[in-house]
Amino acid sequence: MRAALKLTLFLIVLGGLVAFPRMVQSPYFLQLMILVFLAVAQGQSWNILGGYAGQHSVGHAAYFGVGAYVTLILLQSRQIPPWWGIWAGVVVAVIVALIIGAICFRLRGPYFVLASIAVAEIMRLSATNLKGLTNGAEGILATDIPSLRWGERVVADFSISKVPFYYIGLGLALLTLGVAWGVAHSKLGYYLQAIREDQDAAHSLGIPIARYKNYGLMISAALTSMTGSFFGVFVGFVDPPTVLGLDVSVQIMLICIIGGMGTLYGPVLGAVVLVPLAEALRSNAVTDLLVKVGAVSPESKVGLFLKENLSHAHVLIYGILVVLVILFMPEGIVGALRKLTARRRREVA
Amino acid sequence: MAILEISHVSRFFGGLAANADVSFSVEEGRIMGLIGPNGAGKTTLFNCITGYYPPSRGEIRFDGRSLNGLQPDRICKLGMVRTWQKVRPLAKLSVLDNVMIGALARTHSLNKARELAMVQLTVVGLERRADFLAGGLPIGERKKLEVARALATQPKLLLLDEVMGGLNPAESEEIIQLILAIKQQGLTQMVIEHDMKAIMRISDRIVVLNSGEKLAEGTPEEVVSNQDVVDAYLGESHA
Repeated sequence: MRAALKLTLFLIVLGGLVAFPRMVQSPYFLQLMILVFLAVAQGQSWNILGGYAGQHSVGHAAYFGVGAYVTLILLQSRQIPPWWGIWAGVVVAVIVALIIGAICFRLRGPYFVLASIAVAEIMRLSATNLKGLTNGAEGILATDIPSLRWGERVVADFSISKVPFYYIGLGLALLTLGVAWGVAHSKLGYYLQAIREDQDAAHSLGIPIARYKNYGLMISAALTSMTGSFFGVFVGFVDPPTVLGLDVSVQIMLICIIGGMGTLYGPVLGAVVLVPLAEALRSNAVTDLLVKVGAVSPESKVGLFLKENLSHAHVLIYGILVVLVILFMPEGIVGALRKLTARRRREVA
Repeated sequence: MAILEISHVSRFFGGLAANADVSFSVEEGRIMGLIGPNGAGKTTLFNCITGYYPPSRGEIRFDGRSLNGLQPDRICKLGMVRTWQKVRPLAKLSVLDNVMIGALARTHSLNKARELAMVQLTVVGLERRADFLAGGLPIGERKKLEVARALATQPKLLLLDEVMGGLNPAESEEIIQLILAIKQQGLTQMVIEHDMKAIMRISDRIVVLNSGEKLAEGTPEEVVSNQDVVDAYLGESHA
């Protein structure tokens, strides 16, 4: 019964999302939704390794950057369209993951975290300095993306509107959700969670921990690379800080931490909360709202101060909110919701 | 027939010999008790046998093959599994999931693993706790969960590291009955225990370790009447 309810709810939401671009023409909202999809996919990709296996990588920018760079390099220097380039990115990301896994998974806990950061930084510095391949700090601009054709018919023309990106983003989010669901409902998922809970106990129960961690990393890296390819093509530009910076790694992680690690819906909720929040703070929608509600008058000192400064402080406010969430909802939004429903159930009983 | 043969096993930590030249073997279908004062090297020996620490010297043979250089997961697959003195439940997973993870050592199917796990939960009497979080169980039930999870890997040899530690007499009695029931099924067991009454009741043979070395070996009667054992470990009251 509950499963049927869940499925119905999922299909309703999905239907709404598919119909969304037909109902809402505003490119601003379309863009916002695309960023949400991207964040869902990023968070879910990280979740497989960080959430289920408990290997908290703070270097997922490495795979994100690989996807973005490989796809755009192939597009610009070889005219290979991105729907092929994305797979090349996946292949490279998996190879990188195998190398990183072989080295970093000898380490546990904080040492693994530090090693993951180091690897991403190495990638960022390499991308900055291997000018022949990556065009260095100037980055790569995707000039024109060929339209996707099926025979003679144009399936998606990327130059006219953002709608094709909307559906590809939605598809990517669904893909990562599907993969995470598959992992969670398989031996792999059980083994990854066992490793998260207690490596020694897992080892004694016949789990080859190094091999399973590598499986988790490879899947996570492949999906993260796909999100990187999507981002690169969508933005039409890559340079080292935007796709390989430490803040990219942290951002990916935060989606999952805020939403709830090791849960299927955590990254979804994390993305739905974080992306619009960041956007609202950046565009100073908060001040506009306060003015509209009548809490502050736009001419008053406070109103002027907020108008002047709030959008400059968006990163600071974002940071404070994140800290508050982590302090008061250590298991993320999903964890907090579960606690709430569990309490209610107890009260009913 | 000996299912486990430990020959001249030593394990050094720096200059300290946690195990020094220990040799004995465990007969199939029997219960071997392992006793000795704190720091005698009992748990270290378990760690050597199950692949957590490779022995510095000597060889361990299980079911006819050498375990040298094998990782714990391989050793589990060969049919030897241990429980932990300090219980290690997979705290955020359900009791059933814990045991399923053990069962998955023998199958890829979650449904099959679930069935096997329910059987083992029933064996240890935790079937009504299946949906509880493992981390929330009281200590007595955690100990049983350790045993159920280990049994789910379908071992030939079960190593129990102080499963009665911290339990009240009633709970200890349940574990003793459980160990004897497992023996009835033909499973070989090696048991570390401090509760002398219990270990005398369940063991077919006993090895006594002291300062890393084997002090004595024999039937429970032989061991309690051994003057070295009385001096080093038991004290006069048991003699």
